[in-house]
Amino acid sequence: MLEIKDLHATVGGKEILKGITLSIKAGEIHAVMGPNGAGKSTLSYVLAGRDGYEVTSGEVLYKGENLLDLSPDERAAKGIFLAFQYPVEIPGVPSATFLKTAYNAQRKARGEPEVDAMEFLKLIREKTKELGIKDDMLKRAVNVGFSGGEKKRNEVLQMSLLEPDMMLLDETDSGLDIDALKIAADGVNRLRSPERAALVITHYQRLLDYIVPDFVHVLADGKIVKSGDKSLALELEEKGYAALSAA
Amino acid sequence: MKNLTPLAQTYLDRFDTARESLPGHDNPAVVALRESGLARFASLDFPGRKVEEWRFTNLSPLTKGIETTEAPANAALPAAEFETPHIMTFVNGHFSANESRLDKLPDGVKLSSVAAELDAGNSALLGSDAEDKRAVVALNTAFMEDGFVLMVEDGVSVTEPILIRFLSLLGTGTNAHHMRNVIRLGQNSAITLVEEHAGIDGHAYFANPMTNITLAADAKLNHYKYQAESNTAFHLANTDTELAAGAVYENFALTTGARLARNELESRITGSGAVSILNGAYLIRGQQHADTTTITRHLVPENESRQVYKGILDGEAQGVFQGKIQIVPDAQQVNGDQLSRSLLLSDRASVSVKPELEIHADDVKCSHGASSGELDEDALFYLQSRGIDEKSARKMLIDAFLADVLEEISNDGVREYFAKVTARWMDKV
Repeated sequence: MLEIKDLHATVGGKEILKGITLSIKAGEIHAVMGPNGAGKSTLSYVLAGRDGYEVTSGEVLYKGENLLDLSPDERAAKGIFLAFQYPVEIPGVPSATFLKTAYNAQRKARGEPEVDAMEFLKLIREKTKELGIKDDMLKRAVNVGFSGGEKKRNEVLQMSLLEPDMMLLDETDSGLDIDALKIAADGVNRLRSPERAALVITHYQRLLDYIVPDFVHVLADGKIVKSGDKSLALELEEKGYAALSAA
Repeated sequence: MKNLTPLAQTYLDRFDTARESLPGHDNPAVVALRESGLARFASLDFPGRKVEEWRFTNLSPLTKGIETTEAPANAALPAAEFETPHIMTFVNGHFSANESRLDKLPDGVKLSSVAAELDAGNSALLGSDAEDKRAVVALNTAFMEDGFVLMVEDGVSVTEPILIRFLSLLGTGTNAHHMRNVIRLGQNSAITLVEEHAGIDGHAYFANPMTNITLAADAKLNHYKYQAESNTAFHLANTDTELAAGAVYENFALTTGARLARNELESRITGSGAVSILNGAYLIRGQQHADTTTITRHLVPENESRQVYKGILDGEAQGVFQGKIQIVPDAQQVNGDQLSRSLLLSDRASVSVKPELEIHADDVKCSHGASSGELDEDALFYLQSRGIDEKSARKMLIDAFLADVLEEISNDGVREYFAKVTARWMDKV
């Protein structure tokens, strides 16, 4: 589904990704772990298409197509979803309006009919119920005044609504207590299917107890230095990143 | 004698000829009023940038004399978009009965033209501005040609808004319109007024409206102004409002027009329980310059003022906000809030802001805030990452920036109308 080949990227002229190669097939969940500053968030932003994250060499194929040629909204419409580490507050934009606009924009881009307000309301109420989110959140401005947990839950809500094929989760566990973590993980697990894949970026092993990965990769200084199965995460938890870098 | 600006000199030279055709020309009181206005204008001249209040707004493109520009020929009279049964229209500075509809106004409401009042010798209703230091007000007094007089008796409320339109079209008359307006609301009366100033793009002219408002105890005036003058016009407006106890003045000014505009408002709060609300939004682009200058004077204890202004600037547009809140000694228990925010859509657009609190009482609550910034790149990316294209995402954020100030408009119809007008402006971003 996603083929990353020798990807180099700079931010503000500084090289952060120094040759990443990673292949993710449909149905698989890959975890990328690594110390702070390793380039984990940069990888997620490059894949989502953020301005200022410049790819200097290498390529990324998504469903056989050159992902890097697409704008962020085109990527989203084709099924890429980034759950942000720090979801952005948008004063003045009600969550319901935002969600409906995004949902319909993606449908339109795919040539599917847009849904009307009633239909959308029904759909979103199903999703909020599943995730235990209060409906009054929909009336509030996007992420404004949300607690850290609410923001992350809102990311998961958007993900369940938009039903992406490729989920990118950037430190979804940071700032979450254990109950919120379970709800977030549950949202991701619900979407797990043979047609979908996920790239879970995390600093700690904790999240991977709930979202169990097929593969674990260690990212250090812009490169994947080690890959393995889920036991690698436990090993890292025990020995720390330092031991690994020294090896 | 000092050298006057070329435009000021033109006015002085023209006065003797012009006065013969101005309303009230055979009434000694009106003549005296005009002459005193002219004398003050001659000593003041148009303010230059050395005058503190005009530091950010350079009038020289106006005062060197308006160039006559090629304007589209036969431009049609723009139809009123805002729907209401009561419409009064002025075309090129004169009341147009044909374009007005005043027969549905209820008893207790009198709406007449200033020209008719001056011809009838009723200059007293204009009050005296002998002490006024504003040059454009003095000029208005000397050359005022028409305008509206709205008198509402005690206890009378009008549900439907009254729309007053000032249209500047090509054709007869001068390229300057000095409109003089008077609004007097009796005790416990309530009215909604929508003022519209419009012209045809490419037509250069100078609009200099002066509006005097008096609100008796517990009167309520919702006063909305949409300034959509021609993109080559100059618009310098003054609105003075006096509020008695319990009176509520809600002003909202939406500015999209004119090459150079200044909307100056002065609220004098003379009673307890009165509330002065001055809000507005300006959306400007290209080389437009829009100045909002407000003065709120709390002259007695226990009253309130609020101001929120939002600007959206594109191209090389320049915005100015100057807001002064004055609280005199012993005017305790006063609340005064002021906020000015602007959104710069271009690197070349700029805003100058000067909040000024002049507080001489100790038991008051006052706040002011000012900010200006660009669209939030993080928010833009967030929206895009959810599938919303860049243009729509930008529009959502601009809408959101403006939404809360439009929400302040308490009249539903006007709020919807202004939302429609601003949406049209944003379609061109």
